[in-house]
Amino acid sequence: MAGKTTLRVLVVLPMYGGSLPVGRYCASALAQLGHVVEIFEAPEFYGAFEALKTLRVTSDRLEYLENSFLQVISQAICAKVETFGPDLVLALAQAPLSRQALKRLRRDGVKTAMWFVEDFRLFTYWQAFAPYYDVFAVIQKDPFPDRLAAVGQPNALYLPMAADPAVHRPLELSAVERRTYGAEVSFMGAGYPNRRAAFAQLLDFGLGIFGSDWDGDAALAGRVRFSGRRITTEEAVRIFNAATINLNLHSSISARECVPAGDFVNPRTFELAMCGAFQLVSDRTYLPELFADDELARFGSMEALREKLAYFLAHPEERADYAARARARALAEHTYAHRMERLLAFVAERFPEWPGGREEEQAALAGLPQPLRDETAQLLRDLSLPADVTFPDLIAAVRGRQGRLTPLETSLLFLDEWQRQYGG
Amino acid sequence: MARFLVLQLARLGDLVQTRRLLAGLNAKAAAAGGGEVHLAVDCSLAGLAARLYPFAQIHGLPAHGAAGLDAGAAASQARAVLGELAALAFDRVYTLNFSPLGMAIAAMFPPEVQRGYRQFAGQTDKDTLLRLVFRIARDRRGSGLNLADIWAHLDDEPLAPAQVNPEAAPRGGGLGVALAGRAARRSLPPEILAPIVRTVFRRSGVTRLVLLGTAGQAGEARALVRKLDPAVAASCVDATGKTDLFGLCEAVAGLDRLLTPDTGAMHLAAYYGVPVTAFFLSSAWCHETGPYGLGHEVWQATLPCSPCLESAPCERGHVCRLPFADPGFLRALAGSAKAILPPGLARFATDCDALGAACRLVGGEDASAPDRQAFRAFAARRLVGADGDGTDLARERELAERLYLETDWILPPPGRPLRGEG
Repeated sequence: MAGKTTLRVLVVLPMYGGSLPVGRYCASALAQLGHVVEIFEAPEFYGAFEALKTLRVTSDRLEYLENSFLQVISQAICAKVETFGPDLVLALAQAPLSRQALKRLRRDGVKTAMWFVEDFRLFTYWQAFAPYYDVFAVIQKDPFPDRLAAVGQPNALYLPMAADPAVHRPLELSAVERRTYGAEVSFMGAGYPNRRAAFAQLLDFGLGIFGSDWDGDAALAGRVRFSGRRITTEEAVRIFNAATINLNLHSSISARECVPAGDFVNPRTFELAMCGAFQLVSDRTYLPELFADDELARFGSMEALREKLAYFLAHPEERADYAARARARALAEHTYAHRMERLLAFVAERFPEWPGGREEEQAALAGLPQPLRDETAQLLRDLSLPADVTFPDLIAAVRGRQGRLTPLETSLLFLDEWQRQYGG
Repeated sequence: MARFLVLQLARLGDLVQTRRLLAGLNAKAAAAGGGEVHLAVDCSLAGLAARLYPFAQIHGLPAHGAAGLDAGAAASQARAVLGELAALAFDRVYTLNFSPLGMAIAAMFPPEVQRGYRQFAGQTDKDTLLRLVFRIARDRRGSGLNLADIWAHLDDEPLAPAQVNPEAAPRGGGLGVALAGRAARRSLPPEILAPIVRTVFRRSGVTRLVLLGTAGQAGEARALVRKLDPAVAASCVDATGKTDLFGLCEAVAGLDRLLTPDTGAMHLAAYYGVPVTAFFLSSAWCHETGPYGLGHEVWQATLPCSPCLESAPCERGHVCRLPFADPGFLRALAGSAKAILPPGLARFATDCDALGAACRLVGGEDASAPDRQAFRAFAARRLVGADGDGTDLARERELAERLYLETDWILPPPGRPLRGEG
């Protein structure tokens, strides 16, 4: 199914947080695969949600209002589903979909999937929400799938993080950019307690720290760049490309272990690899199956980290070899397009009738007269839609276009409305 | 350097129950290569706070409205202290009381450092953990999370529960009896208390009995002594109204055992590792405010109406006192293995698990135990990341369904920076 049919997918973004860019990468990958994608822009509602905190009401009333507000956003998603008619609603962790809305989508036969890109041990609320999704994609293996099955979610899919080659790519940087974004040993990320403790032991290296939440640490203050402000994705890619060595230390809320033990692999691992940037990454249980020993250099302790930093700083050719092999592996196996293909195949596997309820539709191009047909064929290419896309799917994609429409796009909408009114 | 502030504006018992949080912060500061722990309390408790927490810098605030202090004087006094606090950059400020005073002070600090009850730009709020705690309170029997642990878990890395208080062991100073706490309904009247005191006195094999309480409880003490056997009464020292807080610490710290309802003295005894025999009735629930640490025992009323609401008048004639007058209870208290406890009474031994303080059933019936066990497994997963092996996951799911709201699911995990890069 999924390989042949153009699907309509509604991607529901979270209002904010780390899974927000992941949602955008998913939407982009789905479109690249030839599906019609709409995005529910939950971040647009975040300002209003935050405004509740300025009301100066009792804390009980605030909690009530916050939950009510989220119900309204959920209703907006349901309304979007009614209009768009997706085959799949894909929600990212923290997407504002209430249990009530999920029940309604299930009742209406709309398949839902959650990509839960969080640590299930740290973020336990999945217990209450996972059963309401049709598919629950996760970044951790045993015992998580068993736990999910026990709470009524039998369709768990292991789906590790990935990178977007259109965003995370090798860059030619100018000398100025190299000075601005570069460091001998570079770290880009938030100031979690274990990282603070670890980096305090690396001050004899040319350490540069990019990212937020590093304030209040006198020892590291001189190493924090850009005044510790938040780094955009574009800047992060420059930072990755400009570093001699990118340090990738997985986070922990505890400072007891500088190099925390853990299973899942963070997005930065894939992003650095996709950029063709050399990285030293902290060991994770699942890392060997995602990247081979000669693709990523790893460390499991602070002693090993210091040793490998010294070694790789002195061996630029080896760094380049590692980086090239890691990028090749990432391109071959770890793009968001790979992940979305796997997810759609899994939905089809678990629900053989999916996507159901579709009438046989003629390909859009077949019903159009020349020269409109040739013009529309070009539009399909621009929209990354297959040549045999149906007319309703084409119209859905046109409706999703931003800004002013072209005369061709407007003509297609006109045709759609005309057919609704007069038939034919 | 790490710098923490804890706002604990409640009474003696709460101050002592803050030990797990404070000691944990002190350990954290030490691990970070040095730091400061500050504690703001009511002025009347500042001296005691300094004694209990010598590592902390104490700030006294007029939070309890001391007699003779007018509003203007209170504001001036507060202004000076708040000026000192505002001059310090705290990494975290923990506001522990759901009180307008505490939340008013929280407003002085940036929102990102506030933990617990909070206020910013005029809007009061509470951490997700405290929101959850308020939901839990709708089913007190089936839940049970010690107050000290709730406060401790406002920090990401609380001290190990077993390290909070010393294990209980007799200290040689005889048997102490705390007459009543602030909530008189949680205490036993002299006619019920006297046989209990006599029984424990004899069982303990001690030669000294000390009555502890405020001057307001002196009449109660006299009534109790009148009902004691002459031999026991002869060993009795009535210290009610004769000790200040330091004196109370001295008296409690040296005891062999303290017999008490749910009182501040009980928490002091646990602080010093003095064994406690506590009786919990009325609104008192040992799974919430029982003595913290290993080696204490609690006799808990478990009637269908237990625990009740302190603020609601009792329309059942205080029936939860009756099991404490039952001969079966007194036999059990005397150590008889054959004694049959009356219905509505259970005996618990205090313990610690991964989550914190726990009360284990050692006698009587406790119909809410399975619910509470499931709840603690659920809470352990939420608070300490417990894997949940061997727990009833279907039951946990039911709890999650009931206790979690959309806001929990849609806001980021605790400790995660907003808009974090990971």
